[in-house]
Amino acid sequence: MSSKKKLFKYILARLALLPIMLGIISSLVFILLRIAPGDPVDAILGTRANELARESLRIKLGLDKPLINQYLEYLNQLLHGNLGTSLNTQEPVKEIISKALPASIELAIFAILIASLLGYLIGFLGAVKPEGKIDFLGRIFGIGTYALPPFWAAMLIQIIFSVLLGWFPIGGRLPPGASPPNPITGFIFFDSILNLNIKMIFSSIEHLILPSVTLGILLSGIFSRSLRLNLEAVLKKDYIEAAKSRGIKDSRILIKHALPNTMLPILTITGLTISSLIGGALLIEITFSWPGIALGLKEAINQRDYPVVQGIVVIISSIVVMISVGIDIAIAYIDPRVSY
Amino acid sequence: MLKTNYTKSILKVLSIILVIFQLSCVQNKKRENIIVASAGKIESLDPAQANTLRTLQILSALGDTLYKINKEGNIYPSLAKELPQVSKNGLLIDIPLRKNISFHDGSIFNAKAMKFSLERFMEIGTLKYLLNDKIEAIEIKDEFVLRIKLKKPSSSIKSLLTSVNLTPVSPNSYSDYKDKFNNKSFVGTGPYFLKNFNSSQQIIKPFNNYWGDKPLNKGIDFINYSNSSTLFGAIKTKQVDVLIANSIADMHRLSLNNMVKKDKLNSGESAPKSIGYITFKSNSLPLSNQKIRKALLYTIDRKLISQRVSFGTREPLYSIAPPKFYKKKFSPWPFYKPKLARTLLKEEGYCENNILNIPLTFRSTVPADKNLALIWQEQIKRDLSDCLKITLNGVESTTVYDQLSKGSFEAVILDWTGDFSDPIAYLAPLLSCNNIKNNTCLEGEAVFSGSFWGNKEVQELFKKSEELEGESRLNTFIKIEQIAEQGSSYLPVWLIKPKAWSLKDISQPEFSGDGLIILKNLKRN
Repeated sequence: MSSKKKLFKYILARLALLPIMLGIISSLVFILLRIAPGDPVDAILGTRANELARESLRIKLGLDKPLINQYLEYLNQLLHGNLGTSLNTQEPVKEIISKALPASIELAIFAILIASLLGYLIGFLGAVKPEGKIDFLGRIFGIGTYALPPFWAAMLIQIIFSVLLGWFPIGGRLPPGASPPNPITGFIFFDSILNLNIKMIFSSIEHLILPSVTLGILLSGIFSRSLRLNLEAVLKKDYIEAAKSRGIKDSRILIKHALPNTMLPILTITGLTISSLIGGALLIEITFSWPGIALGLKEAINQRDYPVVQGIVVIISSIVVMISVGIDIAIAYIDPRVSY
Repeated sequence: MLKTNYTKSILKVLSIILVIFQLSCVQNKKRENIIVASAGKIESLDPAQANTLRTLQILSALGDTLYKINKEGNIYPSLAKELPQVSKNGLLIDIPLRKNISFHDGSIFNAKAMKFSLERFMEIGTLKYLLNDKIEAIEIKDEFVLRIKLKKPSSSIKSLLTSVNLTPVSPNSYSDYKDKFNNKSFVGTGPYFLKNFNSSQQIIKPFNNYWGDKPLNKGIDFINYSNSSTLFGAIKTKQVDVLIANSIADMHRLSLNNMVKKDKLNSGESAPKSIGYITFKSNSLPLSNQKIRKALLYTIDRKLISQRVSFGTREPLYSIAPPKFYKKKFSPWPFYKPKLARTLLKEEGYCENNILNIPLTFRSTVPADKNLALIWQEQIKRDLSDCLKITLNGVESTTVYDQLSKGSFEAVILDWTGDFSDPIAYLAPLLSCNNIKNNTCLEGEAVFSGSFWGNKEVQELFKKSEELEGESRLNTFIKIEQIAEQGSSYLPVWLIKPKAWSLKDISQPEFSGDGLIILKNLKRN
């Protein structure tokens, strides 16, 4: 069988596993949520509602039915692509997710861009001149940013650049009172461009800078360290020595021979990081009041809004599996040695 | 040379970007609407479902109630023309309504609309039990006279009619929402109409046909931020005009109050509306022993705790209902007396190598509760370490509420805000009980509050209070408080005042008697 056919078969197998994985994940979430103490009725009515009011709401929300019936109903809805309705707001879960997910993805895109530019540049410069000044500072930067607690770093950046210097807005996606551009993609930045709304383009960038730079800086440490270590290891390989002895320029050796061979682990790390960010960066979203999916999930958990929690987890899981398959394809494309 | 030019170019580009951003910031500052910030999203604008301060605040601007409460705590007519006329047997209440009032959709406000709104609340309202327990039927006596038939005489119904939850809605616009919530819109009679709604931002604009005093501003934008430090930073950097104090950390409150002292901000506050207290579970040992509970009442130094936790911004509380209701100084709960606590504990066989251990639960999501628990624990360690020990246990809020009625907590720190401005809205949720056996409540609010303490005399007094008015009604509540203090199942700790801060170019926030900001009085100077 040719390697292309093998890869195609592998992708099909992975995609065929997706519904099974989602089934297991959604069942686990369903069960864990019901086991967890707390009652959505309390979250909606408050603690002082009398038993009659509580019972009538429980019936209205379908929470009085046996658990197995609720579970089967949930699976049936899921199979029909229906994520259900929020217990708290009676809004379809799909709509809730479609509002929050673009905010998280937008933040993730910019954060990954910043992290990649910064992290890989520092890692690259460090690997090129090991034990030099840049390498030393890069290592401190890498370890430091990795060790920084995200909420502390976010608050510090917020206090310095927003409160003390007043350069950037304190939080949110748009200035208070501003209406978002006509939704086309759901990403305010891209929608502003598509709507040719110059003021909104600047506003959206302005609001994106602090959260995405904070997240980018925090992630760049992992990127710089991984590139630095992998590149250093590759630069010690025999074929690099051979290339040097043949008189090939250092820059050519680096770009043509060393870098491509460090791409596999780098791609995997980048893929995993993107996957984790799709679920939102909770502490960053909380600090900067960024209305993303993680903040939505946290609120839904607090309110024991079962359908919203289940819906968000199912969507995030699907995206993570898709990204993971995507990364596998990319790796197979880059490295012909990989077999499936 | 080349390197220097390159650096200069980068600096130039960065400077241009910064200038553009600053220009866009300046543009934002020239705003027409007043921006009011607070914590917490608004998921529903339906008065039948509203249960957060933020929702009640916006509804109070979008709608009117039949009656309102002034700063002195007295009821005055709003949509009603005059105070309710109660029949001799106390079972019929006639409410004359104002004429020439229209809803935001242009339809007329009359007794039919009010009946529709009250019946809708009694059908789907999350707090419908407040009305359903009292009201037999609602009738239209005349186009502009509403008649309420009561199941039994109820003096608290008047205060209840001031509740924002009973804000009338337009029957025309809510015809499809008779038996379900209308979360995304609101059509009432208030000074503002809803221009735009989403869960994190709401825009309201003055309603031109409003029957009363017109708003002094051109509109209000409500926005929410998810944490205290962002809210604090937002007003400090003038990104918002007004900040409402809910969910503002005590540390930030102190800083904001200091800014007021330095004349950098305005502030306004209302009479206290929320109480913080500790519930003791009275139906199992060791706290089923009333003397031990009583001893615990003497162990808390409220002044010290208020100072350490809130820098003195929370007022020590010695009664269940805020003392403003009693219109006199009233402190039935005892002051801090550790010697007396020791004596009582000794009488019950504690101290001298027998240390009483009380597990104290606090909501881990409420920083003030955690600080209160820590400081009380340390204070007991200092004063009574040979007799008493407090073990702390942080539990997530939703779990605490779920477990309260299951009797999971020996002692738990909680807070409560009355659903309307009346002592009964504070006393009944903690003390009322439908089934009492040997001072243990088996069924009723005292079970849901986690104390399980029941007293038949208190229940009788509750009934009696519904037939009384004025001073004699207040005296009944005073008696209830005194009995509750003897029962010692609750330990009131502090009062929390609604507060708001505004920028210097905005007028000082004014509060109504029910602890909500009067938004229409906010003015850009």
